[in-house]
Amino acid sequence: MSIRKFFKVVLPLMVFALLLAACAPAAAAAEPAPAEEAAAEPAAEEAAPAEEAAAPEEFTFGILMVGVYNNKGWDQAHYDAGLYVEEQIPGTKMIYIDKVNSSDRPGTTAAQLAEELVAQGAKLVIFNSDDMKDSAIEFAAAHPEIYVIFSTGDTQWAEGANYQEFANMQNPMGRMEYGKMIAGCAAALTSETGKIGYLGPLINDETRRLTSAAYLGAKYCWEKYAAKDPADLTFEVNWIGFWFNIPGFTSDPSQVTDDFFNSGYDVVISGIDTTEALVEAKKFADGGQNVFAIPYDYMGACEQAPEVCLGVPYFNWGPAYKAAIQQAIDGSWTNGWSWNGPDWSDINNLDTSAVGFVKGDALSADNAAKLDEFIAELAGGLNLWTGPLNLQDGSAYLADGEVASDYQVWYLPQLLEGMKGLSSAAE
Amino acid sequence: MLIELIEIHKFFGSVHANNGITLTIEPGQILGVLGENGAGKSTLMKVLSGLICKDSGKILINHLEQELNSPSDALRLGIGMLHQDPHDFPSMTIREDLQIWDSRTGVKKSASDWQQLIAIQKDLGFHFDLNGTVGELTVGERQQLELVRLLWLGVEVLILDEPTTGISAAQQEVLFAALKKLAGQDKTIIFVSHKLEEVKELCSRAVVLRKGCLIGERQAPFNENDLVELMFGRQITRTRTSQSGTQDICMSVRNLSIEDFRIRIENVNFDLYAGEVIGLAGMEGSGQRQFLQTLAGLKQATGGRIEIDREDINGKNCFEFQKRGIFYVPSARMEEGLVPGMTLEEHYILSDCEKRMFINGKNSRMITETRIERFNIKGRAATNSEELSGGNQQRLLLSLLKDPARLLLLENPTRGLDIESANWIWSILRERCQAATSIIFSSADLDELTFYADRILVFFAGRISEPLPSSGLTEEKLGRMIGGKDWPK
Amino acid sequence: MNKNRGLIDFLFRISGIAAALLFTSLVLLVARANPLEAFANIFMGVVSTPIKIADTIVAWVPLILTTCGLVIAFTAGLMNIGIEGQIMLGAIMTTGALRLLQDSGLPPAVIILAGFLAGVAGGVIWALLVGALKFYGGVSEIFAGLGLNFIATALSLWLIFGPWKRAGVASMSGTAPFDAALWLPMFQGFRLSPWSLSLAIISIVVVFILMKFTVVGLRLKAVGKNTRAAIQMGISPSKYMLLSFILCGVFAGLTGAVQVLGVYHRLIPSISSGYGFLGLLVAMLVDYQIIWAVPVALLFAALNIGGIQLPIMMKLDSTLSGVMQSSLVFFFLIMGGVRKKLQRKEEKPSNE
Repeated sequence: MSIRKFFKVVLPLMVFALLLAACAPAAAAAEPAPAEEAAAEPAAEEAAPAEEAAAPEEFTFGILMVGVYNNKGWDQAHYDAGLYVEEQIPGTKMIYIDKVNSSDRPGTTAAQLAEELVAQGAKLVIFNSDDMKDSAIEFAAAHPEIYVIFSTGDTQWAEGANYQEFANMQNPMGRMEYGKMIAGCAAALTSETGKIGYLGPLINDETRRLTSAAYLGAKYCWEKYAAKDPADLTFEVNWIGFWFNIPGFTSDPSQVTDDFFNSGYDVVISGIDTTEALVEAKKFADGGQNVFAIPYDYMGACEQAPEVCLGVPYFNWGPAYKAAIQQAIDGSWTNGWSWNGPDWSDINNLDTSAVGFVKGDALSADNAAKLDEFIAELAGGLNLWTGPLNLQDGSAYLADGEVASDYQVWYLPQLLEGMKGLSSAAE
Repeated sequence: MLIELIEIHKFFGSVHANNGITLTIEPGQILGVLGENGAGKSTLMKVLSGLICKDSGKILINHLEQELNSPSDALRLGIGMLHQDPHDFPSMTIREDLQIWDSRTGVKKSASDWQQLIAIQKDLGFHFDLNGTVGELTVGERQQLELVRLLWLGVEVLILDEPTTGISAAQQEVLFAALKKLAGQDKTIIFVSHKLEEVKELCSRAVVLRKGCLIGERQAPFNENDLVELMFGRQITRTRTSQSGTQDICMSVRNLSIEDFRIRIENVNFDLYAGEVIGLAGMEGSGQRQFLQTLAGLKQATGGRIEIDREDINGKNCFEFQKRGIFYVPSARMEEGLVPGMTLEEHYILSDCEKRMFINGKNSRMITETRIERFNIKGRAATNSEELSGGNQQRLLLSLLKDPARLLLLENPTRGLDIESANWIWSILRERCQAATSIIFSSADLDELTFYADRILVFFAGRISEPLPSSGLTEEKLGRMIGGKDWPK
Repeated sequence: MNKNRGLIDFLFRISGIAAALLFTSLVLLVARANPLEAFANIFMGVVSTPIKIADTIVAWVPLILTTCGLVIAFTAGLMNIGIEGQIMLGAIMTTGALRLLQDSGLPPAVIILAGFLAGVAGGVIWALLVGALKFYGGVSEIFAGLGLNFIATALSLWLIFGPWKRAGVASMSGTAPFDAALWLPMFQGFRLSPWSLSLAIISIVVVFILMKFTVVGLRLKAVGKNTRAAIQMGISPSKYMLLSFILCGVFAGLTGAVQVLGVYHRLIPSISSGYGFLGLLVAMLVDYQIIWAVPVALLFAALNIGGIQLPIMMKLDSTLSGVMQSSLVFFFLIMGGVRKKLQRKEEKPSNE
């Protein structure tokens, strides 16, 4: 009987294999030789209770990341900030869920995932993306006992347009406008064709002001340091539709970058959370073209292709998160909104500066010196958000000599005059 | 090449398709293989060409025993078969088509070989453009292409299965000339046919198969009557039942023409009387199936009228035909008539055409039980249709037919059934005729045709005879007509 | 003999599941994780709190709804790959209806009902398009469905970035959320709505009755199993195939409506959450038996929800649940094939 024979062979095989599967990790752990990470981690956890005597209480905070935690971009900047907090405040412990977006985690919402973090002991939850705005609000309202940091948001800005008071919520944001201005400057100093591309994510208040800041920096340095005719400068933004590539849903950022390089643009500034612009620039450079890219978000982003990287403007969330979490532990928490600038004495001081800029290998020594001069000017009070400035459609934004308020910058309604690209979604 | 088949046996389930066939075929010969449908000709040829494996027996080629497990095995040994349906790729160019076959058989051809191919072509009097597509060729030309291809691949033994079906008279002439020429070149040609005329014209020797056995062989010149008798055999004569038709016209067919890629039937005219049984005689593939399907509304006629109560229903869909009481019973029971995976009871519910929404379990079980009993089906209400034996499947199919009905179109209703089942089925059908239901059925069994039909239409290569009263028809005469003899010019 | 057969079938099923577990374990071992721990985490991620159980049911509802539709389509022999697009169109139409009516002053219950009806209409339209392409264009429903899926995605993206965008924003994250009054009412403290749960249960009952006790269900089955025989029985296959497309569209539309009204409260590009494709897997596993879809869909929903624990607890990628789901289907079907082959082999000698 062949069926019986089949089972006679297959069933014991399966039982054996299942047993093997069950026992193998135990056996592996028992072996002293392989230095597994898994083995190291429980050890660290065991060490934590021992510290409890010194530290009054263990404090677990959770981070919801919109993308992959090690993406050398936005999410890794947050992940590293979490590590920084763990290191700086004894007794704190980070847990996280990454890829929190409806494409990667179908059928779930950020609010639901935040609850998972709470179930694992998180007393504070960080929502790291504008994309989670609705969920952050829903969660903060439903869980008043949990502290909520909704990064990049403006819901706790009393003077802001979207104020909605939640005692348990804070909104930190770095003044990345400075980082983008420096990036724009580096691009303008390096560009030979005078055509700078901006790889834009989605369109909203934040991305409009950051793109415009890059343009302001580029224009300023093009005229002042490169001493070229402003009419020869082209600055174009192309939006892909989201913070990173979601095949089938967004435009392909690699393709968009290629299109820039293929049509005479020689520097692409990335506004998205991942490093496609840099990777593509390297491909074109390997093919003999003189092109460069400026990534975004993460201090170490240049590492992927240092030879084409002019530098990277990055967020340093560590200090802001450290302060907020300390407040939560101390009980001195108040809701609010903070727009944190660079530490002008050293913009790359990780303990104090909320935004920074690391120069890349591809930036020439000459241009690096000019860039330092520009940074010094900014530190000295140069404000490029000063009139006369018009919006893209030609309407007045700032009158001659008028300096933009935080409100005007934060809620920039359009791109600026002189920039190519969409200010809002196509109708 | 000398081929010896020794004691070849082949079973399909319980059917003994080849029963101990022993046959020697010498080179330079055109051997005719005759036999009615189901006699085992095609099976034997497929065994020889490696398409199917024999169950037992030996195949010797030049006195060496060979195992033919695939067509490519056969090709390697120099045996090639020309099938009824061309085995080619209509969307390719002829050159591509030839190359495909090359790589399949593992024979590497270089560019210079194309010259050789053209030479073969010329030698046989064929012309085709290597860069044309296969799909543009006529059936005859595709056949020529296959023939050339096989020769090009070095075939020494050519098997042709009903090669004249679907080709024009001129093409047939070219083909025959080519075959004769090839025989002169010491190739072995095996010519499978049911057309006596062709065998007479072409072959130097003929063997006849019947019911899986090789029952005789003749050398040219052949005696036709002798061959007819060999093919169909003497059968026990039964006394005919009396004429069952009435004088009421059930259906009138006028100038009906039917066409498909192989068969063209033109200008069919007859009246079918209520309660009458008309038999369709002829070799399989002579157009009976197309004819039945056209009358059932399953196939569009290209012209003519099908009149029911003075209304022309030609061109309506099959459901309109069904509404008028015309039902078709295909010969492929499991493929076209019954639903595998459904129980008998479910079949009865479906065929009962209940207009209601919900299944009435009690009622349908009752119907099922009575039908199973009445039709003597060996199965239960919950038995799946595919679990029934062939005879019981046929009973089930007949039991599903609506009553009353105007016309039943039955394709080979008793094929594969034992005598007892066949008789029983006919007793049921006869009962239906008493209730003024007409029947048109096709059959390969001459005895069945003359015994049960009131009139017979004979099909031959797309031609249909006048309705012949079966009372004046001997089996011998019928056999000659099926073989293409005695037709008015 | 029959009893024996039942036992053998059961053994094959079990061994399919065991093989899937085994395969997933091997994948885990390659990832240097303890399979038992991973399975335990998934399990606890589903049952440890009432909220998690409710969340599992939230995922189960749309999955069972699509499976209901797909079982009907499968029965009629149609591989309705286009179900994803049909869900999306349902969601788009629901969103459209809500946007149209949200400021009309009508009672929320009426607006929600209109949303459901619009969703059903959307699903049916998209399914009928597949049917029309199949019967009038001669395009296989698989390719027609795939094509229409792409069009549905493009349409929803265009709406989200264009006409239905949030003021000043062009983001993939979706349209502005609807007022909470237009959300399907939920159990207090849960994301589960009693309405969507009831809808799922009613759908199961309806499909069960349709398939088991109605003539229409039997005809669909006949069409699916043997089109030509169905014609002989006076059943028009194209009519019944269109009917099954319509019914499948109804359930797909309901799924889309539930996703908008009960889960996301807005339109997002991935509104279908892949439930269409997951539903195809479920429908393949249950082999026309909607009753079996209840536990199988629950298992799949549980894998989806429980899988969230993997990145949190073990730093594993949660796509592992996807590996489990597809390996379940894979091994299950393989085992089915092996069973049939072996049984045929055994039956053959007994015939002769």
